[in-house]
Amino acid sequence: MSGSIEVRDLSRTFHTTVRRPGFAGALRSLVNPQKVAKHAVSDVTFSVAPGELLALLGPNGAGKSTTIKMLTGILTPTAGEARVAGVVPYEERERNARNIGAVFGQRTQLWWDLPVRESFAILRDVYEVPKAEHAARLKEFDDLLDLSSFWDTRVRHLSLGQRVRCDLAAALLHDPQVVFLDEPTIGMDVVVKEQVREFLRHQVEERGRTVLLTTHDMTEVERLAERVVLINHGRLMLDGTLDEIRRKFGSTWQVRATLADAHTDAVPLPGIALLRQDGPRVVFGPDGPEAPTVHQALRAIIERYDVTDIAMDEADLEDVMRTAYVQAVGDA
Amino acid sequence: MAVLHAWRAARVTPLGELHAPPRITAALLRLTVQVVLVWSLWRGLYAQTGSTAGLDRDQAVTYAVMAVLALRLRELDQYAGRDTVLQHMHFGTIVYWYLRPLPPQRYYALRALGEQLYGLAWALTGYAVCLAAGVVEPPESPAVAGVFAISMLLGQWVLYYVMLVIDQLCFFTLRNGAAMLILIFAQNLLAGVYAPLWFFPDWFITLSGFLPFQATLNVPLSLYVGRIPLSEAGAELAVQAAWVVALALFTRLVWWRAARRVISQGG
Repeated sequence: MSGSIEVRDLSRTFHTTVRRPGFAGALRSLVNPQKVAKHAVSDVTFSVAPGELLALLGPNGAGKSTTIKMLTGILTPTAGEARVAGVVPYEERERNARNIGAVFGQRTQLWWDLPVRESFAILRDVYEVPKAEHAARLKEFDDLLDLSSFWDTRVRHLSLGQRVRCDLAAALLHDPQVVFLDEPTIGMDVVVKEQVREFLRHQVEERGRTVLLTTHDMTEVERLAERVVLINHGRLMLDGTLDEIRRKFGSTWQVRATLADAHTDAVPLPGIALLRQDGPRVVFGPDGPEAPTVHQALRAIIERYDVTDIAMDEADLEDVMRTAYVQAVGDA
Repeated sequence: MAVLHAWRAARVTPLGELHAPPRITAALLRLTVQVVLVWSLWRGLYAQTGSTAGLDRDQAVTYAVMAVLALRLRELDQYAGRDTVLQHMHFGTIVYWYLRPLPPQRYYALRALGEQLYGLAWALTGYAVCLAAGVVEPPESPAVAGVFAISMLLGQWVLYYVMLVIDQLCFFTLRNGAAMLILIFAQNLLAGVYAPLWFFPDWFITLSGFLPFQATLNVPLSLYVGRIPLSEAGAELAVQAAWVVALALFTRLVWWRAARRVISQGG
């Protein structure tokens, strides 16, 4: 149970007032407000193993942040249950707070007017971290995030990249087992993004932290996550590995081969369709839901035909996710 | 107990101010100008008369100047530090208050304590300078000084809760600008910052008796200048203490409601 996240049938419904159009409508809304229920999260079930990094993906408004808020204990679910490192977060918020760290995008938890190190010292006191332990952890984070070059600067004078690196360190200073990152690298340049990814990889692989990450950056997902959960309109659409997602939504690969014998008539292979043939030049594509991955297709084609040249085009993860989001919208 | 370890949160305001020397210069300049103007105004008002509303010139000047000094106790540039409830609600960073093992009400109290102690350092320095320069009169006796100190402490406690109520409004309205303007005006008027309360008509004084504002400043300053005799101090201190208890209970209830609101809206 230590460091794991268990989510079962988690739901959250918000009740909002409908604003009717026009002056008369606004007046009617004032006198007789009409409430509607918005299901931000509906029956979501998934789990994250200790030491695993899971990417929680979905388009804007899908329910990712609401899910994270419930898991951090700052939002109570309407139904279902969640356990984070063995604690029900919304029932034991303070106990949960000691087990988790969180970064919410560009929203900083650092004290604006103080040098960063003062913020770290305040958090050390709040979380009751022994001084020696705090110093050792700060050194480790400095080695990975290069914090010492700006940690004596006031937060208000930091660049976005510097501030987010400090926020990451601040979220992990008390050595939490579970870390929630809600779009932590949004707006950052590629160099800092890579530094942050390296840091997260280190925290998962070397420190064994469980990380739940939401992001719209597919490069980040590819570099960091082996498993993803895709939600849309508050519902879980898919829970699987990147390969599974590619198989389900990314069947847009093509293999272009040049056959040694120009007179060979190419034929389809299991799960591989023959898209077109022009003399020795042949183009294959996936055929049906059981289609192999592009690498499996390459192997099958080379084994079946004598080829002099072969090339492949594979949809990148961004294309795959675009397909997944569109399909998810259709399914919802 | 995280609250005992989190004393460093009380240093946020003083440290933030020390890291911003222009703010200190501006505060010093403003305080000096305010004291000089108030001193000149009240001396001018008393130029033609020896005593008004039961106060002589020195008592009136002492009251008015000490009211200006006491304002420094909570009149800090809180917005610059981006650590007001209003700003946290606006930027969505209030979630971090609920993500720490330190309850938000304890964090708020620690921050306010640091702020008031820092303001006290300013007020005491200003008082010492004004006393040395003969701008304010010393207390009549050690007993008056002692009762004044206790009353001032209770007054600041009441002020802390009044400010807290205004901040807590943000949890429900997201904005507290209008309430803050009303508070500042009511606080200054009803506490006797603009003018000692006994210059106002009886109905006004009766009305202000039902509000907590005069407990913040008017009572301790009136004790200091001798407008309220020591024989009546016990009753006045009891009223101040009653406000502390009443507001403590009320704000505790509002903190509970605010937490429910945060966890139902998600910050």
